[in-house]
Amino acid sequence: MSTGNLSRLDPEEVAKAVTEFINATIMARSRPVRPDDDLELAGLDSMALLKVLLFIEAHYGFWMPDEDLVADNIRTARAFAAYICRRSA
Amino acid sequence: MQTLWKHARVSNNTLMVVQCDGPLDPARIARALERFLDVCPWPAARLRRPFPWGALHWAAHSRDALIAPPVRHRRLPAPEALHAELEAELNLAIDPRHEAPLRFAVLDSVSDAGGPQSTLVVTWFHPLMDPRGGQNLLAHLTHLDETDGRVPWNGRPPAFATDPDPRPLKERGRLGRQSQRYMRALVPVSPVSPGTALATPGRARFVQASFVGEDHGLGGVRSTREICWRLALVGRTMADLWRRRGLPDSPFLVPVSVDLRPKGEPGATFGNVLAFHFARFKPSDTGDVVALTRTLREQMTDTLRDGQIDASAVAMEFLKYRPASLMLRDLPGTARRETFSFNCADLADFPPTLEKLFGRRVVNAYHAPSVLPRPGVGVFFNRCGIRNNLVVSWVEGATNEAEVARIVEGVREGMGWRPVR
Repeated sequence: MSTGNLSRLDPEEVAKAVTEFINATIMARSRPVRPDDDLELAGLDSMALLKVLLFIEAHYGFWMPDEDLVADNIRTARAFAAYICRRSA
Repeated sequence: MQTLWKHARVSNNTLMVVQCDGPLDPARIARALERFLDVCPWPAARLRRPFPWGALHWAAHSRDALIAPPVRHRRLPAPEALHAELEAELNLAIDPRHEAPLRFAVLDSVSDAGGPQSTLVVTWFHPLMDPRGGQNLLAHLTHLDETDGRVPWNGRPPAFATDPDPRPLKERGRLGRQSQRYMRALVPVSPVSPGTALATPGRARFVQASFVGEDHGLGGVRSTREICWRLALVGRTMADLWRRRGLPDSPFLVPVSVDLRPKGEPGATFGNVLAFHFARFKPSDTGDVVALTRTLREQMTDTLRDGQIDASAVAMEFLKYRPASLMLRDLPGTARRETFSFNCADLADFPPTLEKLFGRRVVNAYHAPSVLPRPGVGVFFNRCGIRNNLVVSWVEGATNEAEVARIVEGVREGMGWRPVR
């Protein structure tokens, strides 16, 4: 399921959406992450990261390939957002 | 199927071993345990099943009648005696119907520098809690020790168990059956394991080794830290074992535990807070670990996408209604009295919040669970500070020390780790 016009994605909006997803489905309610928080330090493990990838697939219409799963793209929700916007441009 | 070993007193013990930089006072631990019972009875509970039918559950008396689990204290004649003590703990099977489901031991010895040191050993009946639960219990006891004489948790104790699933029975039943169908269809043939031909299981054994070395990237999720990479690497060492034994190239079946606790908080201490994913791959697939890692990640992704992790969590809850002899029958391959090919788990970081315990600094900590005679061998990772701990547990007769040493070296080499100096 795609959100529609991917070429007009706003990095701030995407970072917010990724952050909200992580907080709603992965983090404890009392320990929400912010867009610039390091996700590994926040406790996200391999399975949690796959959940984020599935969220991206469902909402932005593509699967992040293995070669793009590097720290610069997945360290924070904002890094995910930057990648999503680059990929969608 | 476990009736195979009904009279063999197979251990379901698991150990958490915490090495401290000085002597621990057992009385402080016993005092913290007593205070813990004021807010939570489960360390003094017994495993019960209503007659004639019902769910297995933990039952506890009122506070006045609760007896705290034992805290044993022993001075070891030499540091080398520690491992034998730990293996004895692993083999002294806890019977939770008749005794407390956990116990503590403080083992004193002399450090390499010549000073006194203690090792705290927490031994529990495996289904009481998972490794993270064991760490949470220790954190609670530490808090009670630090707040002795004051009101702990500012008068608001945390939840020690997860809330029941709020979904209706009908929906949970549907999910449980979905998981059952999925598991039964996972593998076309029953897996084999080093314990397959084992008629009389021997003692539970384990080795533990500590290494240093950073996780490094391989062009994938979290690289060498990722469970799929570690499982692929362990699979390669097992494939070596299979070749030496002449075991068939039928698919490995390996349970991968998934911690269901929300991230960022300790979460529940007691009960099952795990779901399971089942990895499948052939020994002959292990030649290219990077490619196998991708395959295992795809399997895990499909499992998540299909909702099987959630279904597995629900199915686990229904297991408690099963007679013990039938509990494993629903798992893949177990209809033919097999379980899995081997066990493998990454028990993650020992919490930095447990840097100090009962006034002593933690030097290292690791978990050593017993494994069932089938599969008879398991590999477990965890990290404490800079130390990467590797534990291989096995059952005598299923494998042996020389083969286990090969597994340890194979994993160490693949991880690029160096021994701790």
